[in-house]
This record gives sequence, C-alpha cells and structure tokens, in this order.
Amino acid sequence: MALSELRNKIAIVGVGYTEQGKVPGRTAVSFHCEAIRNAVRDAGIDKNDIGALLLYRHFDAIGGDYDVTAFTVAEQLGIRPQVLSQETYCTRSWLYHVAGMLASGLCRYVVLSYGDNGRSARRSFVKELNKGAATDELAAYGDLSTMAKYAMLARRAQETYGTGPDIWKEIAIAQRRWANINPKAAMYRKVLDDETYYNTAYVTEPFRLLDATPNSDGGRALIFTTAELAKGLEQPPVLIRGFGSSNQPLSPYRLDALDSESAAAQAGRQAFDMAGVSKDDIDACELYDCFTYTVEATLRDYGFFRPEEVKEFLSRERLGPGGEFPVNTSGGMLSEAYFMGLTPVSEGVMQLRGQCGERQLGSYPGTKTPELIMCGDNGAVLQSHVSLILERMD
Amino acid sequence: MKAEFFEPGISADTKGFWEGCKEHKLLIQKCDCCGRLRWPAAYICPECLSEKFSYKEMAQEATLYSYITVRKPFHPSVEEKLPYYVIDVELEGGIRMISNLVGAEGKFPKCGDRLRLKWEDYGAYSKPVYELED
Repeated sequence: MALSELRNKIAIVGVGYTEQGKVPGRTAVSFHCEAIRNAVRDAGIDKNDIGALLLYRHFDAIGGDYDVTAFTVAEQLGIRPQVLSQETYCTRSWLYHVAGMLASGLCRYVVLSYGDNGRSARRSFVKELNKGAATDELAAYGDLSTMAKYAMLARRAQETYGTGPDIWKEIAIAQRRWANINPKAAMYRKVLDDETYYNTAYVTEPFRLLDATPNSDGGRALIFTTAELAKGLEQPPVLIRGFGSSNQPLSPYRLDALDSESAAAQAGRQAFDMAGVSKDDIDACELYDCFTYTVEATLRDYGFFRPEEVKEFLSRERLGPGGEFPVNTSGGMLSEAYFMGLTPVSEGVMQLRGQCGERQLGSYPGTKTPELIMCGDNGAVLQSHVSLILERMD
Repeated sequence: MKAEFFEPGISADTKGFWEGCKEHKLLIQKCDCCGRLRWPAAYICPECLSEKFSYKEMAQEATLYSYITVRKPFHPSVEEKLPYYVIDVELEGGIRMISNLVGAEGKFPKCGDRLRLKWEDYGAYSKPVYELED
C-alpha cells in the first residue's frame, strides 16, 4: 500500500490535559487517568469504544509511587481494550501502531497517553543514580547523562557550521515568549532575556541549564480514530495529512552531526511525500525540544534551513509570537511542560482547532491562521523520530 | 588527577576489549568475513551478520570528533572530578569510541585535533584515555 493512500484517513479527535507543572502529592498513574478521562470527554466518545491503549515510555516508579503499566491504567479507567501497550525505551513507534490499527479497521479509537510525577519526585535521567553502579561501559568515562550525548553532537555542529549558544539562546527566548502568553505553561509571564541566559552556568558545555527541558508533573492524552468516525464527534477533527517514522539504531557517538539520512531527515521526507506538500506549505512547527539544539537539528534536517543559514533563520523574531514561522507555540517542553511528544503534537491539534486563547495563530497580531502544522516527536539521542503534518478537516 | 569514575559494566561481549585494556592494548573487533571494525563490541557484525571476528590492535593516534566539558555533577561520585572532558574519538578506519581527554588544563581542544592514546590503571581495570598531541 502506498502511504499516500492513508493521507487524511486518520484523525486526532480528543486532547486531554491535566493539572500540570508542580503538582505534589499525585501519582504518575493518576495523571494518565486524568488525561485520558479528559480526552474521552473532549472527543465525546464512549470509553468502552477504546480499542487500544498505548502508554508512552515506561519509567521507573519514584517518590513512593507504584509501577505504571497500561494494564493498571485500563483497570483504573474501567476499560478493556483489545490492545494494551507501553513503550519501554525512548524510541518512537506509536504512530505506526496507531495507523495500522485504525487503517486495518481492527480498532475504532486508539488512546495515547503520558503521565509522570517527575518534577515533585525529582526524576533523574542518570541511570547510575538509580542503580548505584555502572549500567554500561561508558560510565567508566563519566559519560552519564542524556544531556552529555546531545551536547556532544551540538558541539560538533557548533564547530562545523557555526551554531552555538548565541543561536540556542534565540530558540530558548522565542519559546519563552510563547509560554509567557500560555496560562498553562510553567513559564507563564516569566520573562527570559539575553543576560539571564548567558548568566546561567554551563552544565555540560556547550549546554547551559536553560538549554534543557525541566521535568513536569502532569499528563497528556490524545485520541485517534478514522476520518469517517471523526465526523460526528465533539471537536473539529484534525487530520494527519502525512506522517513519517524512522529509527537509526546507532550508538549516539556513532552519529554524524550533519547527516542527510538522520531519523528526522527520513521521517520528515516521508511525511512531506505522503502529504504531497513541501516545507513552504507549512505554517508552523511543533517540535520535540528536550534541548534547544534539538529544535535546530530537527528544523535543519526537515530542510527548513541550510546549515550556513542558521544564524539568519533561527531568530526569536521569526520563531516567537508574531513571527513569520512560529515554532513551539505553547512554550514547548522547554517552557510549557515536559510530556514528551505529546507536548508538541497536542499543541499542533489545538492550534488547528483554534482553541489556543491569546497565543492562537491567526488571532495573535502578525500571525496567520494555520492550514498545515508540522509536528515532530524525537526519541533517544536524535536516533528515533516521528513526524506528522496536520490539517483541519473542512 | 586521574579521571576515575565508575568501574565499567562489562558484559560477555565487551570482556575482550577490557581484557586488552589490562595489557594496554586497544583491541577492536574486526569482522573476519567483511573486515568491518566495530565498537561497541557485539556478537555479530552489523554489516554482514557474521559472528567470526579477530581483535585488531589500534594505533596510538586518533582524532577528536567532538567533546563536552562536564561542569555540573550528574552523580555525587563525579563531583570532585569537575570539570572533565568526555570525548568522541575517531580511530583508524573511521570508527568512533567514547573516552576522556586528560592533561588539557589551560588548553583549548577543537574538533579535528590529533590525539595520542594513554593508559590509566586502576585496581580492577585499565582505561584508555587521550591527550592532545603537541
């Protein structure tokens, strides 16, 4: 089957939000359940019609919490989907699962959910902190964090084509400006200026603390169905016009900083081809932004700018509120909240529905009503990527 | 100061590499079938899927692909080592490996710099690290 046959056949019909930011005293599973309940109500579907429940990444339970599995979430929601699944590692394969189950007719509604108490319970992404000993041979070199692995590629990019903190600061400030007008964002009304960015110490040079996403408490859920079933529901359906998925199973230190076959490059190309559109047709991007540089790498690998254009392209004016190319309009994970790929994808849906309040594209001064929004979800160290081109159903 | 962090986690696949380190030999797997070098260690060759391999001792010289300076501790045990360099080293044949850059205080490494192999010995293991070539 040609992928183009699936163009606009799958819809996102429900978005579930929860309390978010710093919400102490809550379990991770409670955020999953709240997000899914709210997504079910948002879509106006019967919870008993959920055919598949997919949970984002399986994290170690922390802060006295119990282990979270798809089985636990289904139990607590009182549902019995035919498919229960959970991604174990930081790779992205949910999109093909969703598309396959819906296109084949095996499921009517698929739920994708994320929930964590990572901020209050202080989740660490350093495995050695949890285990107390080395979990691989790289620990012998003090190579412990995910941030170190992204920073290594960012440094190579810096010395190859002249990106660096001056550029990453623009991404951080542009997204902060979006968060400043999003009441749900952690950084609502908290202004970030150049001086504050530069005065923040390096953590893993060349990255400063403000180049990295903080943890959040909370959850987010999406409901997917077919374009046919989407028509009679509560919300204006948002269609997946094109999508792409790519994994590059190479250890991070074997990746090249500039690679025309990176996971993002392949996934983006597939999404453009399937949608039958080009980068010039895209009105805004909502992208996975674990680090500022991740946004740069994704936009570059999607083909929005060439490496030598980096300084000119990535400016706060272009990406921020009122700019010609809005990126991460909720504030993103850097400044809104960390719900992995569900932060960008849900924002893409809400923008196309026209439900984003002050930050709504088309009503915020200087912006246009979006027709196509490109969303990206990234996993591992730029090794796994899912890309979606969304449009509103007329 | 030596850049001692954790004792490496050694698996059945990576054992040969770390045994070579004890003799101050940088041993990298080379596929007997297609000749491809591989690191990290693995049971079969990701190119031709053969399990037959020999160890090739690598040269002392290498090139700096990239580097980071760790300035905040990600673990209490590394706090007194700060700041330290973790580097992505390009070895002969184009394969890459993680290591540390040592003896670079007051110097400014750059991607593409030439490096020279050096050994650090600890009780249970020895570790390959690199210095900038003058």
